[in-house]
Amino acid sequence: MASYKTPLRDMRFVYNELFDAEAIRVLPGCEEATPDLVDAILQEAGRFCEERLFPLNRPGDEEGCHFDNGKVTTPAGLKEAYKDFNEMGWGALAADPEYGGQGLPNAISMLVEEIMCSTNFAFGLYPGLTHGAYNALVARASEELKQQFLPHMVTGQWSGSMCLTEPQCGTDLGLIRTKAEPQADGSYHITGTKMFITAGEHDLTENIIHLVLARTPDAPKGIKGISLFLVPKIRVNGDGSLGESNGVSCGSIEHKMGINASATCVMNFDGAEGYLVGRLNKGMEAMFIMMNSERLAVGIQGLGIGEASYQGAVAYARERLQGRALTGAKAPDQSADSLLVHPDVRRMLLTQRAYVQGNRALAVWVARELDHAKRNPDAKRRREAEDFVALMTPIVKAFMTDTGSEVANLGMQVFGGHGYIREHGMEQYVRDARIAQIYEGTNGIQAMDLVGRKLPAHMGRYLRRFFHPVRDYLESKEQDFSLHAFLMPLAKAFGRLQKATAVLAQRGLKNPDEMGAAATDYLRLFALVALGYLWMRMAEVAQLKREQDPLFYQAKVDTARFYFERILPQSGALFASVMAGSRGMMEFDDEAF
Amino acid sequence: MDINKVAVIGAGVMGAGIAAHITNAGISVVLLDIVPKGADNRNAIAEGAVQQLLKAQPAPFMHKRNARLVTTGNTEDHLELLAECDWIIEAVIERLDIKQELYRKIDAVRKPGSVVSSNTSTIPLRDLLAGQSERFAADFLITHFFNPPRYMRLLEITSGEQTRADVVSGIRDFCDRALGKGVVECKDTPGFIANRIGIFWIQVAILEAMALGLTVEEADAVMGRPLGIPKTGVFGLSDLVGIDLMPHLMESMRRTLSAGDPFLDKSTIPDLVSGMIADGYTGRKGKGGFYRINRSADGKVKESIDLASGEYHPSRKARLESLEASREGGLKALVAHPDKGGQYARRVLAQVLGYAASLIPEIADDILAVDTAMKLGYAWKYGPFELIDRLGAPAFSKLLESEGLPVPPLLQLAADQSLYRTRDGRLEYLDTGGVYQEVRRPDGVLLLSDIKRRSEPLAKNGSAALWDIGDGVVCLEYTSKMNAMDPEILALMREAVAIVSKGYKALVLHNEGDNYSVGANLGLLLFAANLGTWDQIEEMVEGGQETYKALKYAPFPVVGAPSGMALGGGCESLLHCDAVQAHAETYVGLVEVGVGLVPAWGGSKEMLQRWMTNKRRPGGPMPAVIKCFEAISTASVAKSAAEAKDYLFLRPDDGITMNRDRLLADAKTRALAMAEGYQPPEPIEIRLPGPTAKAAMEMAVKGVHLAGRATVHDVVVSMALAELLSGGDTDITETLGEDDLLRLEREAFMTLIRHPDTLDRMEHMLETGKPLRN
Repeated sequence: MASYKTPLRDMRFVYNELFDAEAIRVLPGCEEATPDLVDAILQEAGRFCEERLFPLNRPGDEEGCHFDNGKVTTPAGLKEAYKDFNEMGWGALAADPEYGGQGLPNAISMLVEEIMCSTNFAFGLYPGLTHGAYNALVARASEELKQQFLPHMVTGQWSGSMCLTEPQCGTDLGLIRTKAEPQADGSYHITGTKMFITAGEHDLTENIIHLVLARTPDAPKGIKGISLFLVPKIRVNGDGSLGESNGVSCGSIEHKMGINASATCVMNFDGAEGYLVGRLNKGMEAMFIMMNSERLAVGIQGLGIGEASYQGAVAYARERLQGRALTGAKAPDQSADSLLVHPDVRRMLLTQRAYVQGNRALAVWVARELDHAKRNPDAKRRREAEDFVALMTPIVKAFMTDTGSEVANLGMQVFGGHGYIREHGMEQYVRDARIAQIYEGTNGIQAMDLVGRKLPAHMGRYLRRFFHPVRDYLESKEQDFSLHAFLMPLAKAFGRLQKATAVLAQRGLKNPDEMGAAATDYLRLFALVALGYLWMRMAEVAQLKREQDPLFYQAKVDTARFYFERILPQSGALFASVMAGSRGMMEFDDEAF
Repeated sequence: MDINKVAVIGAGVMGAGIAAHITNAGISVVLLDIVPKGADNRNAIAEGAVQQLLKAQPAPFMHKRNARLVTTGNTEDHLELLAECDWIIEAVIERLDIKQELYRKIDAVRKPGSVVSSNTSTIPLRDLLAGQSERFAADFLITHFFNPPRYMRLLEITSGEQTRADVVSGIRDFCDRALGKGVVECKDTPGFIANRIGIFWIQVAILEAMALGLTVEEADAVMGRPLGIPKTGVFGLSDLVGIDLMPHLMESMRRTLSAGDPFLDKSTIPDLVSGMIADGYTGRKGKGGFYRINRSADGKVKESIDLASGEYHPSRKARLESLEASREGGLKALVAHPDKGGQYARRVLAQVLGYAASLIPEIADDILAVDTAMKLGYAWKYGPFELIDRLGAPAFSKLLESEGLPVPPLLQLAADQSLYRTRDGRLEYLDTGGVYQEVRRPDGVLLLSDIKRRSEPLAKNGSAALWDIGDGVVCLEYTSKMNAMDPEILALMREAVAIVSKGYKALVLHNEGDNYSVGANLGLLLFAANLGTWDQIEEMVEGGQETYKALKYAPFPVVGAPSGMALGGGCESLLHCDAVQAHAETYVGLVEVGVGLVPAWGGSKEMLQRWMTNKRRPGGPMPAVIKCFEAISTASVAKSAAEAKDYLFLRPDDGITMNRDRLLADAKTRALAMAEGYQPPEPIEIRLPGPTAKAAMEMAVKGVHLAGRATVHDVVVSMALAELLSGGDTDITETLGEDDLLRLEREAFMTLIRHPDTLDRMEHMLETGKPLRN
């Protein structure tokens, strides 16, 4: 059976020991985020998720959502769990106190999100979408809209959705057809069909706030003519009470591979009243605010699923007796040795562990910078943090979901045939994890974002925020013999990344296909170096503290060693792929496919 | 003809500017104007004009000391000064009676054989000469300068039937060689060549923009870049030259053009424009023009006039599909586009280019004169006939027909051929008889573009090419964007050393870009710095040092032949040449501190060497170090080749060529003269004061900082420079060689390139084109 315990020890390690928790506390509004409080929050969140959400995960998957004549019903138990979730304030952690949120650092709320994704990924999407819509509204909506809608969204009384995709347009949003007709009172009438809308319709909340991309009648063609509108499912009266329904209806729900407890809807807007968010024809700008926060959140989904799968696999490998160790029986008094004796099983478990814990460190690093970007009083520091988050967002999204899937598959593999059948829950992780590589911009799009936008921005200034800290760290550790096992391989991989970046930038100027052809391999190379840097730093911290908690810290050092021996060397192969150029692929005859 | 002294009468903007430019050729000038009514100082106007000249920007003098070559006076007391002058230029008010009266006075005092010319742009030569002596007429011609005379290369010359042939050839030769002008001989027709077509163009473009409902931003965007015309287009240009000039020009054109000229149909001044002039909106010199800067509480806002309502609104970048199309498909795509931008381009080009074609042979005997005049006088990248070729002459004739305009005989003659063509590597043009004639360059003009037309490069890569320019001389041309120095240029430089060593006599560094080189490729460097690839950056610095050193010590002479900007790494390449033959309009400087760096491709080293061995230097190394420090730490850029000698960016005996077209030939001659028995220079050996000098510079820098004239990072950069220029940890007893100095350059450079403030400066420069003062 799948099992899950919140990895509190590792979370504390990353939050307090790997990074300087005090540096976050000095940020305005974060003063109260003491280690004790952070601990308490994570513990309580863990308890709620383990007790309330985890038990609903598999039944929710089995039952799925129901569609009946426009009405969507979520699987049994979700509604009650959702109510309690909000009453305990879990949905409002990072929201602004002005709108009823708790104003906690992203570095904390992100860990809570991880727990939620580990225990019930599909459930987490409902508050997750609300949070994405919240971010876009905070950044771009008028004060009036904010006051009217945000407080109810922060409490979870109303939920949110993001309506981007249409039948003819997925990745290419310039093709959007949904119309917004301006009205005399300043509102718009929205008409069109949106699909793949997560949480577009459901029974968890009394109202749903849709953020809809549409174009006005005289808008410029393509991507420059898209505007963002707030369209409530039920209109809201001046006094804040709910009014008439608003020409928004759910046409059907999708039958999917995974996240079955999450309602994925076709939404029809039929002259529905909507309100402009931000400036006319600047919808993509507002949408990217929403997308960027969502992309980080999707990366966390990969992390959460990975952690759950790893825990399931470890528990099974420990209990399952099968075969004998190659070097002779380890438990002669039992019918067989446990799976843990087999090198290949250990390879799988350590791979999972190295990715999951490395990704957690990466996620917290980015979340901390996001806190600086939002709150640091020093404009220069804010800009540095913004640069860093912009650079790392596609990496977090793509790498953490790619490895999320890989880890979930390894977890299923450890279970053997029992992983492939439904009752152990391991195959659900594989199915659930798969969507994260696709939505919010496929991972291929993420890679293009990295090489096409983030690399050349300001002549590589975003890159500086990653490359300089790593370079400086490597230089500062040159004389530290205790770290030599890590220093040389990381320096080598980092050198490859530098070279690949420089070459790619130059080739890309002459031929954009060079960028496209190398993008995915380049992103992975970048991510492996980033994790390498974090694993070396984790090993450094753990080596110094080994005496205090030998089991935990030694495991950290050993996992780091595994990463450096087994995973980081892949950077060599990726480097070769990047350098191979585009010709071989692009010259392949279309007819021959 | 020997011209050793010149007089200019009339010290207005044009007269004073012409006088200044003649001193730029090293020639004394008498500058006279009238005695102002009731003035104490009877020379006040001419003296005031010289004072203005010294203040004006861009500077009319190539060197401030040239002002001493101007003798000022007035036309009542000092006309006898004209007796010493070989050439007397009249640049007084455009009134026939005043001019004729003046000519009689001039004729009375001038020496026999001296030349008299008028700078008129509106009065026909035959009118000017009415009633003058035959002797006067024989020595008289029109020399029409463009404003500002130092910078605008066009000079239109118009002579009469009586004008002596050697007067024309003498003035032509003098203006070409000594003043650096592109001289075009014109006929005695209204507006000569450039203004006849140029003013017609402005007028048509304004009227059509109004008729088609384009905004001024849209009109300028269409009329500018896609056509190879400066981005001021037509409305921006009008603001620049002064909108109030238009009615005067129109009036003179109406007066002098013959009936039936299409110009006359277009010579009405629109009410909007008359109203603007009446309200003081005469352009940049007035309250604003078609564009204005609105200074409000929120800061400066650029605004544009609405051509229909006359109201101003904030300027908006022009967005037209035709403009987008022209970015990919060029002029043809613009003209083919159905939107109003395309329609505008079609209508204006059809009228203006068609008009130009109809004026041959009325205003000029061949298309070359017209194209040269428009390129040099209006800064068009392509002349009207080159533009017709870009559209395709047959296609253009069809366009004329579709616009209901007549197809001029010249275009009928061209039929389906182009107006220019290349045959056997030679450029030819179609004459009025329908025969192609070779474009011939005057003696002493050697153009790299001609050489490129008829030969293959000896070697080339993505950023540079190597050409055999004859007589055993090789030319290295940069072809990178803005001629920025990059690893590929350096690679070809090294290859050039090998190639020239094997079978040639000398190397010339020259290109025909607007600027010789704006410096090292900063984008490449910044990207590498952002990646933290310090080792590679240091290799790149060392690579540049080694390459320039190889140029310096090559077994053959290397001559730099720059024009325009030669900054940073571009300047450093010149500092390593055995000699430089510079175009007079060369702007040299070591500007690295502007981006938070120091010259490290041997530039600091060479400057130290030059100042240390400068014969006029007072004793001791300290003054030399201070001189280098001043020039480099303030990123000084010489505003002319003459000024560059003050900084020792050029050596005292380096050559200056006034005419850009003659630059390569002059440089080649110089290189060949040096080739015989050439010996590479002796290696550098200098003694520097070390920490004591550094401390002195540190004091100075801190003082400047405390006075608020140096920023925090200025201090950081200056201190790194001080460390380098003082010789680091050395003292006066120690001899430093070439490689010691190069190492100091690298150390200073590598310290600074790692500084985030330096990276901010580089990024700011790349993104805004302006230095960041952090």
